[in-house]
Amino acid sequence: MDEILNALTRAASFGTPLLLASLGAIVCERSGVVNLGIEGMMALGALAGFAVAYSGSSLWFAVLAAALAGVAAALLHALVTMTFRANQFIAGLALTMLGLGVAGLLGKPYEGFPLSDTALEWPFTLGAGLLAIALYGVFFYTRAGLLLRSVGENPAAADVLGMNVALVRVLATAFGGALAGIAGAFLSLAYRPSWTDGMTVGLGWVAVALVIFTGWHPLKAVLGSLFFGVLYYLQFRLQGSVAVPTEVLAALPYILVIVVLAVIGARGQQGNAPESLGRPYRRGER
Amino acid sequence: MKNVLMLAAVAGLVGVGLHSSAQTSVPKSCFVYVGPVGDIGWTFAHNEARLLTEKAIPGLETKFVESVPEAQAMPTIDKLVGDGCKVVFTTSFGFMDQTLEAAKKYPDVIFAHTSGYKRAPNMATYMADFYQIYYLNGMMAAALSKTGKLGYVGAFPIPELKRHISAFALGARAVNPKATVNVKWINAWFDPVKAREAAESLISEGAEALAFTEDTATVVQTAAKKNIPVFSHYNSMYKFGPDVVVSGQLVHWEKIYIDFMKKVVAGGYNTKSLQNVDYWWLLREKAVELGAQNGMPINPKFMARLKAVSITVAGKKTNVYDRVMALNADMSSAKPTFDPYTGPIMDRNGILRVPAGKVASIGDLNSMGWVAPGVLGEIADEPAK
Repeated sequence: MDEILNALTRAASFGTPLLLASLGAIVCERSGVVNLGIEGMMALGALAGFAVAYSGSSLWFAVLAAALAGVAAALLHALVTMTFRANQFIAGLALTMLGLGVAGLLGKPYEGFPLSDTALEWPFTLGAGLLAIALYGVFFYTRAGLLLRSVGENPAAADVLGMNVALVRVLATAFGGALAGIAGAFLSLAYRPSWTDGMTVGLGWVAVALVIFTGWHPLKAVLGSLFFGVLYYLQFRLQGSVAVPTEVLAALPYILVIVVLAVIGARGQQGNAPESLGRPYRRGER
Repeated sequence: MKNVLMLAAVAGLVGVGLHSSAQTSVPKSCFVYVGPVGDIGWTFAHNEARLLTEKAIPGLETKFVESVPEAQAMPTIDKLVGDGCKVVFTTSFGFMDQTLEAAKKYPDVIFAHTSGYKRAPNMATYMADFYQIYYLNGMMAAALSKTGKLGYVGAFPIPELKRHISAFALGARAVNPKATVNVKWINAWFDPVKAREAAESLISEGAEALAFTEDTATVVQTAAKKNIPVFSHYNSMYKFGPDVVVSGQLVHWEKIYIDFMKKVVAGGYNTKSLQNVDYWWLLREKAVELGAQNGMPINPKFMARLKAVSITVAGKKTNVYDRVMALNADMSSAKPTFDPYTGPIMDRNGILRVPAGKVASIGDLNSMGWVAPGVLGEIADEPAK
């Protein structure tokens, strides 16, 4: 019993940044915009949060700064992909590299220092859980959710009905950036309160995978984050207890994700992707 | 008159020649780092040492490349040699074979590789090793735990870590013969998330004190959250957990770099003379130091608890605190009498590894595949015989 409780505790802790970032990405992608820049936005958020907290400001400001850093990066993505109509996938990859690079450069003066006032983990975890429930409600039970989804499914039809497709997409992208930034803040203020170049160690990419894995569904994202968190923890807990090389255990979370994706694919349940995901919209074009 | 002018011109040329040779007598030295200079661990320490070496050797110009993946050492070295580097330090075990290859490719460049065992006429090896300090940390860890269950987060199961883990376990068993060291591998030098989860796993399995060999302060931070004793690794990590950091190990790579560069400048070390140059510097050479912060071997907060644990050494009763300080003083002296790897030492499978009365050689320690009794968990490449 203790073992299970402990595994779930670890899963909740490790899963929190995954859940925050993937909820943001779900909102973004539900509006039809793919943003693969999560890792970069996370790094910027982690640095912004740490820098503000380190300067002595309150942790609330630190989290706000992290969210704003994420929003700024996300708006850059919106500008490049919507105004200049760059390919969303490539722009997102570029955003990851840019975000990691800029954070690494600006973060040099902050490396190697602890925070005097660190954040607790559970408020982030609780907040992420409540947000998942709220998003579920908004998506499927409110007009705003319908609007967001229709923009992602069929922007031309939404446009005909008088919705501002571009505005919805910009706001959804910004929301995704804010949550990626807060996920970064969780890492640099609570999970491991310090700043180091590269401290996001690929969690942003796991969040990208989780979005697909959980079928763009906010509640399933909660389960997905916990599932991944348990597996991630088990790679260490099982070391020494089972006769499996540590490298195989380390690959276990990723192997299982592939297996689950394959099963979902084989059962034909992969129709959840928003219809015009990744496709730019301009009136009069199709 | 013409002759005088000629003479002056020749003198001028010679002067210029002398001048430029004086300028180039301190060769440009370059460093290949495996991690970011801000990792607060291994690479940070090498970089601090680089800056101190620059100060100590007048006219020395240095350059570094950070976060070089272990497979990418060769292109990085090519670039550095192209930029005029005459001495190249490669600071990760994983760079070994590529450094050797580079030494053959660039016979006019001096190479020095950290923690490896392959050398060439123009390639030396160097290491500031901590095994003595891990032994002392192990003693303190066992003294601070009720059950003797200790935990250790390791990067990769290479000889260096097996040597550290075993020394830690030998030290722990010198205080508590039933002590165990549970090991979790993260298969990375730099991965704070894995380090955190590995430490959490050790704590959930009952570890009452933690030590580690990887390049971040994460294990210290995790121990601070759970309020359990921890031993810092590599740099001053005291500030990340002033209430939980007991001690740890500090490195002074500059002792080696300055010595090496002085000998290069003086000409003793050149592209023909390095085949047998292997620095293996320990407490005695002051290349390493006991403590979590310079000048503080043991956190005063733990002094009373360590003094309260008595042990018997050669029939005399003493306490762990005094014993650790005495051993540290002995191993830091010009002629140490104590070495943690003094036989008889069995490995954890009961095979005699260091015969009675013998001390393990540098070669033995550098190729260690076995681990000491008390070490738990999976150990890759453990020799069966």
